[in-house]
Amino acid sequence: MKHIFKLILSALLVIILVAGCDTDALHELNINPNAVNKIDMNYFFTAAELGLASGGSAGDNRYIDWRTNIGMFAHCTQQLSTASTGLLCVGDKYIDNDPEVSNAPFQFWLPDVGKNTAEILKQTGKGGFSEGKNLNMRQATRILRAFNFHRLTDMYGSVPYSEANKGIEGIFFPKYDKQKDIYTDVLKELDEATAALSASNADEGFAVADFIYNGDIAKWKKWGYSIMLRCAMRISNVDATMAATYVTKAVAGGVFTSNDDNVWIKMAIGPSEWTNQNGISRGMYPGDGGQANESFMSKTLIDWLKGANPASVADDDPRLMILSGGIVEWTASAYTPYPGGTDPLNQKGLPPGVDQSMLDAAAGKPVDRDMTFSKVNFNLLQDDEPFRLMTWSEVEFLMAEALERSIGSGITGTAQSHYEKGVKGAMQMWTPYDASFVVSDAAVTAYLATYPYGVTKSKLAMIGDQMWVSHFMNWYEAWSEWRRTGYPALVPVNYPGNDTGGTIPVRLRLPASEVSGNPNYSGSTLPDEITTKVWWDGGAE
Amino acid sequence: MLLFLWLACSAAVLAQERIVSGSIKDSNGAGLPGVTVFVKNTTTGTSSNTEGKYSISVGNNAILAFSFIGYVTQEIAVGNLSLIDVILAEDIQQLGEVVVTSLGIERNTKSLQSSVTKVPGASLTQARENNFGASIQGRVAGVNVSKAGTGPAGSSRVIIRGNKSLGGSNQPLYVVDGIPMDNTNFGQSGVWGGVDQGDGLSSINPDDIESISVLKGANAAALYGSRGGYGVINITTKKGTARKGIGIEFNSNYVFEKVINYLDLQTEYGNGGLVNSIPSDPTSPRIAAKPATQAQAFDWGNNGWGPKLDGSPNIMWDGETRAYSLVGVDKNYDSFFRTGNSFTNTLSLSGGSDKQTFRFSFSDMRSTAIIPNSGFDRKNLSLSTNGKFGKKVTFSAKVLYSNENAKNRPMVSDSPGNAVQALMQLSPNQDVNDMRGDPNKLGAVPFGVTTVDSKGEGEEYQLSGNLWNQNPWWAAHQFINSSVRDRFITSGQMRFDITSFLYLQGRIGMDYYNRKSKGLTPQGTGYQRGGNASEAVDMVREINQEWMLGFDKAFGKINVTSFVGGNKMVRKSESIGAYGSNFNVPFFASVNNTGSQNFGYGYGASGINSLFGSAEVSYAGYLYVTATARNDWFSVLNPKSNHKLYPSIGSSFVFTDAFKNLPEILSFGKVRAAWGQVATANVGAYAGNLTYGLNGQGHLGIPMAGFSSGSNIPNPDLVPALSTEIEFGTELRFLENRLGLDLTYYSQKTTDDILNATISIGSGFSSTSINIGELSNKGIEILLTGTPVKGDLTWDVSLNLAKNTNKVVALNPGINELIIEEPRTRTVFIKHIVGQPYGMITGWIQKTDPNGTPVFTSTGEVVQSDKYEILGNGVAKLTGGLNNALAYKQFNLTFLIDFKFGGDIYSGTNVRLLENGLTKESLIGRNGELTVTGVTQTGTDGEGKAIYAPFTRTLNVDEAGSYWGSVGERDEAHFIYDASYLKLRQFTFGYELPSSLLSKTPIKTLGLSFVARNLAILYKNTPNIDPEASYQSGAAQGLDYFGVPASRTYGFNLRATF
Repeated sequence: MKHIFKLILSALLVIILVAGCDTDALHELNINPNAVNKIDMNYFFTAAELGLASGGSAGDNRYIDWRTNIGMFAHCTQQLSTASTGLLCVGDKYIDNDPEVSNAPFQFWLPDVGKNTAEILKQTGKGGFSEGKNLNMRQATRILRAFNFHRLTDMYGSVPYSEANKGIEGIFFPKYDKQKDIYTDVLKELDEATAALSASNADEGFAVADFIYNGDIAKWKKWGYSIMLRCAMRISNVDATMAATYVTKAVAGGVFTSNDDNVWIKMAIGPSEWTNQNGISRGMYPGDGGQANESFMSKTLIDWLKGANPASVADDDPRLMILSGGIVEWTASAYTPYPGGTDPLNQKGLPPGVDQSMLDAAAGKPVDRDMTFSKVNFNLLQDDEPFRLMTWSEVEFLMAEALERSIGSGITGTAQSHYEKGVKGAMQMWTPYDASFVVSDAAVTAYLATYPYGVTKSKLAMIGDQMWVSHFMNWYEAWSEWRRTGYPALVPVNYPGNDTGGTIPVRLRLPASEVSGNPNYSGSTLPDEITTKVWWDGGAE
Repeated sequence: MLLFLWLACSAAVLAQERIVSGSIKDSNGAGLPGVTVFVKNTTTGTSSNTEGKYSISVGNNAILAFSFIGYVTQEIAVGNLSLIDVILAEDIQQLGEVVVTSLGIERNTKSLQSSVTKVPGASLTQARENNFGASIQGRVAGVNVSKAGTGPAGSSRVIIRGNKSLGGSNQPLYVVDGIPMDNTNFGQSGVWGGVDQGDGLSSINPDDIESISVLKGANAAALYGSRGGYGVINITTKKGTARKGIGIEFNSNYVFEKVINYLDLQTEYGNGGLVNSIPSDPTSPRIAAKPATQAQAFDWGNNGWGPKLDGSPNIMWDGETRAYSLVGVDKNYDSFFRTGNSFTNTLSLSGGSDKQTFRFSFSDMRSTAIIPNSGFDRKNLSLSTNGKFGKKVTFSAKVLYSNENAKNRPMVSDSPGNAVQALMQLSPNQDVNDMRGDPNKLGAVPFGVTTVDSKGEGEEYQLSGNLWNQNPWWAAHQFINSSVRDRFITSGQMRFDITSFLYLQGRIGMDYYNRKSKGLTPQGTGYQRGGNASEAVDMVREINQEWMLGFDKAFGKINVTSFVGGNKMVRKSESIGAYGSNFNVPFFASVNNTGSQNFGYGYGASGINSLFGSAEVSYAGYLYVTATARNDWFSVLNPKSNHKLYPSIGSSFVFTDAFKNLPEILSFGKVRAAWGQVATANVGAYAGNLTYGLNGQGHLGIPMAGFSSGSNIPNPDLVPALSTEIEFGTELRFLENRLGLDLTYYSQKTTDDILNATISIGSGFSSTSINIGELSNKGIEILLTGTPVKGDLTWDVSLNLAKNTNKVVALNPGINELIIEEPRTRTVFIKHIVGQPYGMITGWIQKTDPNGTPVFTSTGEVVQSDKYEILGNGVAKLTGGLNNALAYKQFNLTFLIDFKFGGDIYSGTNVRLLENGLTKESLIGRNGELTVTGVTQTGTDGEGKAIYAPFTRTLNVDEAGSYWGSVGERDEAHFIYDASYLKLRQFTFGYELPSSLLSKTPIKTLGLSFVARNLAILYKNTPNIDPEASYQSGAAQGLDYFGVPASRTYGFNLRATF
């Protein structure tokens, strides 16, 4: 018995010792084996680049494209139309029934690209653990950040900028900056960053991390100046001086010169459909989001592509059957054109702003939409399709416009030559989606001959129309350019019960969590409505 | 118990004058071993032996008290008797004399300074719930239980004395025989729907529960440390007792479950849409029409905005022509929901000698739910043993094993796979039977059928063009959300009595489980035609090691009971999951068969080290003072601020024992007061560290980095939150205990509450952890017990009532609101608002002009307010229950009526039903009888202020539909209902065979009962839904959105002992 007592006593003593205050072991328990305190900032850079596409570097890529890019902008720019009267008809019918459509860019671009670029700039900046390193990657990050914020302010007007993405520094409720101030700083950033990029700096992993240009400094400079040109032109209606200064700088610095310079965010099938796939494709694809069976090619766009004579193929835009996949039955497993569905002459767009009963009424009989209207081309919508961010054609159109409006100096060539290069670039840029989407030089020349510059329409209208078509699938920009230039001359619809009084939305609304949750949001900056114009569109600063 | 026995034994050394003996039996005539026999007003006591016999030395004029867990204590004046036989009645009044308090120590209720309520296990087993948390509802004053409307394997939310933390779970710590139990919830349904993955409580077999005691106050819970900050529920499992031979107990319970249909929808108008009255004129007024073609029927889906049902032929979504006449919700409910059932069999063996006792039990529960293809099975095995080595060493060991198999947890809220959502939204002329599709694969396109959307055989047979609107059969039968959990809760305890007054005790306990879950979105589903599959394994292990040095000694009339101790808790969790989408080989539902695949791995470890001590000093058995102190060190906090020392002190005074000249009507009287603090740290493992991790598997083979904390900003400066509570109470019993009153007032305050404060997304993050919140709870609890009738017929009744007033005192400086959650309508937020109770429901309401007149658009739609307004609160203010027990000879009858008042519910179900033209309210305006009156905005003045003009408009059918749609989107006050209710929660009627009939059989006792739960709702204000329809057991209370409908169960319980 004595032994048992001793044994028990010692067992109890062991427990006492183990259960004592061995605080070192307690602190060690709090070290996360799956986390590090310092990391190669290039890994953040890759995330930032991916986030530019669908805001999905941490997953959930489909959300913003489906709601905002497609649901709002593809429809309100009348490139797509839907007969739906439910959610996601806001762009088509201006029924503001889904706050997610408006909120998505704010909810994705600030915490994704915004947060990732801010962290890179912090850690490669003064006092950061990568201070003095990754010099080129740092400048490329400034360009990404500028791109991200110009796009964000274009949507909402006043947004957090100078205090944005400083949560870790304790700024939990950033103030809102005026769009004019944001543009002023974005242009300054682009100016400084492009100048600071240098091929003589060490690569330090940048080429691997940068899946857009593989660390090609010359291309990064071109992109930086091209964004500068875009931003300068965007403010040209309200701040001619600043616009002229930066158009001149951008052209002097060197902008895109061919489709080889185009910015593509490459996508992949896996490992995660939420992180690695294309959000537009997922929203549209019948096996996934299925919007392709709800949203058809718009009558406005199809009619435009079919040219002056709808009964003739000869005057069609060569992109007609690239953008339109025809009248098809599209299921997850098969893509089957109806008889004659791929004949260019049979292409038909769905009118914007109608519902099924209006279609039936107009036709005098029930209309089967599937068998009647053209759909977006299946070959643009594979899950691993690259995401187009910015192109050479845009730059050419902007230079053509700048020459026509005499903004800035230093642009060589004529407006017409830039316009024609733009059209060529825009027609020949589709091959990354599918190798069959080739438009020959001859086809471009023939098109330009059919619609000579400034003849069938005014010069600015032709530039604007071409810009609009070139932004198919980059509907954010199609919308912004339409707001700025008024081209194409879209005819608004006036669906019963719409929320804009029959005008195309010109702004997105902020998340309710900002309006009622951020004490530094001031509702007086701009009325939080989809009808409020932003500063560069003629609204308040 | 050990302590108690030991106390009793050592006290018995004091010599007394003569011996009284007898036997103690229960109402069935079975001997009750282990009953404590006390000489009142002394410390003399003993306990009954294996056959229920006892003997004790007493002085003259002694009064003997017989007490036993689960039974009503009896007091008998000895007089000159030497043989006293006693029959103890089962305690339905919850006034047991001995309760388990902190650290598994049993205490006489006299000494308790804060409210502790005991519930005997028997009341949880006759009419039972799969999740035993739900069966506490209405039984304990101040305990507010909400069972989520998520089916039989769903979770419950148990809140004691109000929500004490803005960020914490607010749920109590569950302790099984002294070992804390993990109650992690593996997922809740949220704004996008999802599945209630259940909680830890579902592992517990109610048949193993001897009793539970609820420790409500900070004082009572202080010794459990931080994790007891929201109260403690102690579960004492059954133990073996010394007896002759082996005691066998068999219990069998079979119940049916039936859905309760609360839907009261319109029955006049069918499925359809609006078309132009002059077909060739798109500007002509629109009228309601039936579908003209199958394609149109498919397109219009299942809304109820069509014309009046007239029995005429009507083409439907599947191309069939059927009469345009009423099918109705009752018939669809009958067709779709089935009668669930639950069959539980428990066998237990117990026995032992005075050296060692054991108990073994095995239980098997199989249940099917009202939702087809869903159910919950559980097997439990328990083995416990207690033994003595010589005179100084005692030990006990225990293993509880459970195997839970949740077969298809229903998807709720806005899950596309939510069968209930699909069913409830059918229009009046749609018959769910027509949607069965392939009889061998319910909800799938049958062979040879051509569908509008070109779905093939085996894919979903969809009813409408809305890809997110699933076929109810497909949702119920083809989706999979299952989980299997194997769990061990095991402990070993040893105690060494160093001297008669000093002991040393050690204990190790582990809660370990392994949970395997599986999900499938079947191939061919509308919104995800490629399908997806997931597999996950979660492992959780918590180990507690504890030691205690105790000192118990009497010094004359003064008795000292004290101990010091330490505890080390380590919790580790690990998860591995695989996810894949788009099946390659058709209908081969395996993760390996998917086109894109990825995996996830998670790991977390945290710990708490503690030192604690307690000292109780009592005087003459009627005055008690207890003080405790505990210091916790938290691994999850920064070492410089990771610890907190917190004390408690309390006193109780049994004045009926102290003063002899009190009126006779008063049989017992006690007053008590207590003050205590508890520190808590609601911080996840590593949540205070700002670190980097990798995002998924990178992109194009390139790694991508992010913050480990995701969208939360870690805060290294967090300190533990502190809850301080003071309570006063009295217990009075009158007329020889025929009438009792237990009254408690408490006032609690949490300061430095740790919360994940919602911050602007503009910061890059959506929340940060801060020590800023302050909230308070004040309330009263009343327990009234009575025995109005006593004799052959005995009627015991008890009423418990609690009122709690909660207030959010402070949030971050400058911030008055915190957003917690939103439902799928996305027009409502649950918020914490300064000056208001926890978890307010806020949302858009109709805008009014400065005079308070409602504002409409020019077409008569509702205009929404400029900001979210407060609509209500999902937490009930007043809760309680009325327990009744009647016994007449061999018959017994019990029933429980429980109630909640003062809470609200926002019904997303009603929003959608109205928008889809299905509620009776949607009938208004279909014939031009709806006129709206108010003002409309005509412009703005020079200062930008709106100018309003009076407005009246009689709406046509088109506008009326838009009007109701605008009410759904913009006037959420319309869908807030008072969630108060009164329910006949439980009913049992039983018969015990007289022992004379059984005397020739091996059966000792045999009882048969009819049992039922949720028999009737006696009072409610919520149209179409149950007032308890909340789909979450988390912080967002008061949100309804197509949860699993309420059900009632009834059946039989058979109990036999051998």
